[in-house]
Amino acid sequence: MMDIAWYLVLSAFIFCIGVAGVLTRRSPLVILICLELMLNAGNLALVAFSKMTGNGDGQIFALIVMIVAAAEVVVGLGVIVAMFRNRLPMDVDQMDELHG
Amino acid sequence: MTATAFGWLVLAFPLAGSITIALGFRQWRGRTAGWIGSGAIGLAFASSIGALIALQSRSPSQRALTSSLWNYIATEGVNVKLGILVDPLAVFMCLVVSGVSFLIHVYSVAYMDSDRGYSRYFSYLNFFVFSMLLLVLAGNFFLLIVGWAFVGFASYALISFWYRRRTAVRAGIKAFVINVVGDVGLVIAAILIQRDTGALDFPAVFARAGSVWHHNEWVIVAICLLILVGAFAKSAQIPLHTWLPDAMEGPTPVSALIHAATMVTAGVYLIARTHPLFELAPTAADISAAIGALTLFFAGTVALVVTDLKRVIAYSTISQIGYMVMGVSIAAYSAGMFHLMTHAFFKALMFMAAGSVIAAMAGTQDMDRMSGMRRAMPFTSVAFVAAALALAAFPGTSGYFSKDDILAFAAERGSGYWILYVVGTVGALMTAIYAFRMIFRVFAGEPNEEARELEHGHLAHAEPVNPLTGEPEDTDVGFPGPEHHIAEREAAMRAPMTLLAVLSIVAGVIQIPHVTDVVTDFLAPTFADSRFADVEPSVGLSVLTLALGALMSLSGIAIAYLVWVRRPGTSAQLVARFRRTHDFLIHKWYFDEAYDLLVVRPMTRLGQAASRTFERVVIDGVSQGAAMVVRAGNSLVRVAQSGIVRYYALALMTGVTALALYFLIAAK
Amino acid sequence: MLSILIFLPLAGGIAAALWPGSGEHGGRRAGYVSLLFAMTTLGFAIGLILDFDAGFGGISNVTGLQHVTDVNWIPQLGIHYKIGVDGLSLFMIALTTLLWAGATAWSSFREWPKARNYYLMLALGETAVLGAFCAQDLALFVLFFDLMLVPFYFLIGIWGGERRVEATTKFVIYTLVGSFLMLAGAVATGILSAHGGHVSFVLSDLRAHPLSKGTQEWIFLFFAAAFLVKMPAFPLHGWLPDAYRAAPTPVLVVLSGVLSKVGAYGFLRIALPIYPDAAVQFQELLLVIALVSILYGSVMAFSQNSATLVVAYSSIAQLGFITLGIFSLRPEGAQGAILQMVNHGLVVAPLFFIIALLAARAGGTDDLRRMGGLAFRAPVLAALFLIVALATLAMPGSANFAAEFLILNGVLKAKIVYAIVAGAGVVFAAVYMIRLFQRSMHNPLARGAESRDMTLTDGVVLVPVVLVILALALYPQFVLHRSQNAINTSLPREILIIR
Repeated sequence: MMDIAWYLVLSAFIFCIGVAGVLTRRSPLVILICLELMLNAGNLALVAFSKMTGNGDGQIFALIVMIVAAAEVVVGLGVIVAMFRNRLPMDVDQMDELHG
Repeated sequence: MTATAFGWLVLAFPLAGSITIALGFRQWRGRTAGWIGSGAIGLAFASSIGALIALQSRSPSQRALTSSLWNYIATEGVNVKLGILVDPLAVFMCLVVSGVSFLIHVYSVAYMDSDRGYSRYFSYLNFFVFSMLLLVLAGNFFLLIVGWAFVGFASYALISFWYRRRTAVRAGIKAFVINVVGDVGLVIAAILIQRDTGALDFPAVFARAGSVWHHNEWVIVAICLLILVGAFAKSAQIPLHTWLPDAMEGPTPVSALIHAATMVTAGVYLIARTHPLFELAPTAADISAAIGALTLFFAGTVALVVTDLKRVIAYSTISQIGYMVMGVSIAAYSAGMFHLMTHAFFKALMFMAAGSVIAAMAGTQDMDRMSGMRRAMPFTSVAFVAAALALAAFPGTSGYFSKDDILAFAAERGSGYWILYVVGTVGALMTAIYAFRMIFRVFAGEPNEEARELEHGHLAHAEPVNPLTGEPEDTDVGFPGPEHHIAEREAAMRAPMTLLAVLSIVAGVIQIPHVTDVVTDFLAPTFADSRFADVEPSVGLSVLTLALGALMSLSGIAIAYLVWVRRPGTSAQLVARFRRTHDFLIHKWYFDEAYDLLVVRPMTRLGQAASRTFERVVIDGVSQGAAMVVRAGNSLVRVAQSGIVRYYALALMTGVTALALYFLIAAK
Repeated sequence: MLSILIFLPLAGGIAAALWPGSGEHGGRRAGYVSLLFAMTTLGFAIGLILDFDAGFGGISNVTGLQHVTDVNWIPQLGIHYKIGVDGLSLFMIALTTLLWAGATAWSSFREWPKARNYYLMLALGETAVLGAFCAQDLALFVLFFDLMLVPFYFLIGIWGGERRVEATTKFVIYTLVGSFLMLAGAVATGILSAHGGHVSFVLSDLRAHPLSKGTQEWIFLFFAAAFLVKMPAFPLHGWLPDAYRAAPTPVLVVLSGVLSKVGAYGFLRIALPIYPDAAVQFQELLLVIALVSILYGSVMAFSQNSATLVVAYSSIAQLGFITLGIFSLRPEGAQGAILQMVNHGLVVAPLFFIIALLAARAGGTDDLRRMGGLAFRAPVLAALFLIVALATLAMPGSANFAAEFLILNGVLKAKIVYAIVAGAGVVFAAVYMIRLFQRSMHNPLARGAESRDMTLTDGVVLVPVVLVILALALYPQFVLHRSQNAINTSLPREILIIR
């Protein structure tokens, strides 16, 4: 087993890539993918810790996160398909009707 | 029956009459309502006689009886019962009021026939008599004020009787508001009296007055001045007199009853009734006498120039009441009341005769269009002359003795009161002049068109037009009814006029100085507590004043004869020469204009300022201001809600990072 | 037993709302059901009056309350469900039931959209007001006071006339600001006057343990704010013109006739007995507010062209008189105030009904410039209007005058200047009422107006109220007799002794 720190650094690295993507990209599909990156980075960290403590808790939590991610992807893709079908621009910045 | 039982009957009959007529107002056909009303007042008069007899059967010191029905207000500090006081003064007033009212009711039965508001008229007229009787019979200040206000209301209702007439409606509200001003004065006086003496009923208040207030203490002077506010508002003395001439908008019998014989005398009654208070506050009594004198002079001058027949008589009323006010203010109580009685006779008669003339003139009241009516209307002209003789204090008439009684008393009081005597005598001269000015202008000379028509037996008819505004009258509400009634053709009008004419001429015999003393003796028990109870003009003084009075009267009639009969162009010349004075007089000394400037216009402007400016700017400003503050805050906060998801995400991340950093650093 | 009185109208409202077929024909059936319950409540109130022991002769209980129900509702907060009636609230209850019966009757003769909800809301209003009058626990009182607002929000907001939303918003915000201040004050009172670690909101307990003077002052001002908004008094009357113009007539009748009195009643029931030192301290301030209300209300009243607004502003003036009487801090003044509260409710109700009738005859508008000469074919209407108008301007002979006489009596003995200025208010009242009467009923018939007399259904609502006005004019002692002892037990001894 390598030092846990490497796993955590990798997880942080992937997380930051995901955050950067969510904050800067305008295409909803790409944002969704980056969101997945963030979630899986979290998963990685969870599994690493689980291995470190010898506890199975982290892995179970990671499974739950995967379920949530799957559900969220379903909803997100549904929204994106609806956007596409209604010929709305695939640009998240232009979806601003819920402003104050 | 006891005197107080008769007293309650006096009140009950007119009230019952009023309610009966009102409830069945759709049922009464023809003149029924009129006879019901007259009958009710006739019964009231009979009850007054009953009260008189019952009272006189008691010894003089026992002639003040009270009786009450129930507790009206009985709470901490204020105790008012519905109670009446029957004493000589009250009975005197009851007799005069119910007697003259009865005659005027009978007159109205014929005069108001064919008016669409016939039943309403008699209901109101009965209610008025009830109120006036309530006022004079009231046994405490509270009930007096109630009667006072009811009388004011009845007056308003009858002035604006022809309510589709704008001028009548305006006159009504003017009379009502001035009356309320008087009411407020009375109320505050009553509260002050209650505060200091702890009672509101007359016997208690007058008994305690001497021990509670010192002579001429400012409180009692203030109280008396407030009572005067009420008295002057009701009796049309300066400066609260402006409503009376406008009140001529009402039907002529109303003017006869309310604005000549009864309501306007209420102020005189009030001063006489509260004489113990006035004798404690000589300052107030003197002010009252001075205003009475000023008023009689003022009204006399105006009566010399106005051309509306009823308004001349109205100003004459104001002037004569000035005499009465002057009389009771200088403690000539029986003289003042005597003049009240004789004035009721001849002034009511004068209005009745004027009504007949106006009916013959198809509703016109302008003397400029009247002349030579004596042949066409013989009875009316004789009646009018009888009234004018009494008014002018022609020697031997009732007016002669009653007016002189007051003036002699003023002379007897001496010192400063001689001024009152002089003013009164000058006033007597003016009275004679304007009284016969009316006679000569209306009845003497060549018959005018309406008179000639009447001589041929045809009563003139014209489309009625409001003389003040020129707009056609709305005859739907009666004015004037399609028929006119003149005395020559209606027995119901002639009978009362005849009786009043006889009374105007001969009633003076009951109070000839040093010969007969009926009025003084009758009223003596009420005024026994007066400091001036035994003051009586000496024989020499009486002869002097009687002679001077006769001189004034005869000279006045002679002057009138000269100006209006002998040398017809004289009055026009006088008007041209004294144009400025004439304008001043014709505008009634500019009182109305002064009120308009000082009261009406500022109030209107205040109301407009309040509603347009203050309400909109300040009050609405508060709510608008609050709303604006909230909206401003809103626009500040709004900026953050751009609707762009990425910015929300950025905000989220920034926040999380900040928190994480905080905890990381804090953990160190 | 009193609880039945309070909740009977609400039961009626619910019954009216749920009754089968009550929504058809504009809600006639709902109206009749609701009317039945309202009349029963009125009957209860009359029974209450007849059964009332005025407390003269014989032993009456210490607090003077009758028909008391005392249940320890929320022990942790010290809130009791305590209700009772005494001379102060007896006639307010009667007035409430009478006016609500009249308003319900008037409504049931007409058609309303969403009628079921309408009658439910109307009934809820009656229950809330009755609860406020009967409450003997401070928290309970605040509860009912705030509850009163809810049905009126709907009644004006849904069934009102033009600009009703704006009017309701203003009305609610003004009232809520006052109510929240009052709530804060009430909570503070309950907590601060707790003794022995035991919090109680029952009024008699709060009276027995007065707070320190400084505390009393700010709490009193909070309560005063709430009550002054309710009445309303200058300068907190901004909601009045819009709300009065927007409200439908029956709602307007109870709003002006009853709700405004809750404010005055609150002063007498709560503010004066529980915060006596503050009352003495702020007497002049409240007298000035009362006086300005009288003058401002009167001046506004005689310069309005809308008949509704004339009466609306006159209400400010009349409630100003009532406040004047209360803050003379003398028994005569307080007696006069109580009598006048009853009187004003009795006259304002028929006034608004009559204005509705006039508007119907003048082409749907209540603008005085479009009215005139309506008395011609309407003698009965004219006669009733005249009686009510004369009573409103406190013509001597009416009970209103008796009340004003007592009020002026009290104020003159307290501070004479205020009485004299208030006299001007009396003259103004004559001006605006006669002007209202004349502009609508007299003068030549206006163009576009038609004159017809009132119908039997109108008469059924108007005549009983006018008869009560006349009866009271003949015998105001009926009210004064029964309210006298309440003054002595509710106005604290200290205040009475100082004077």
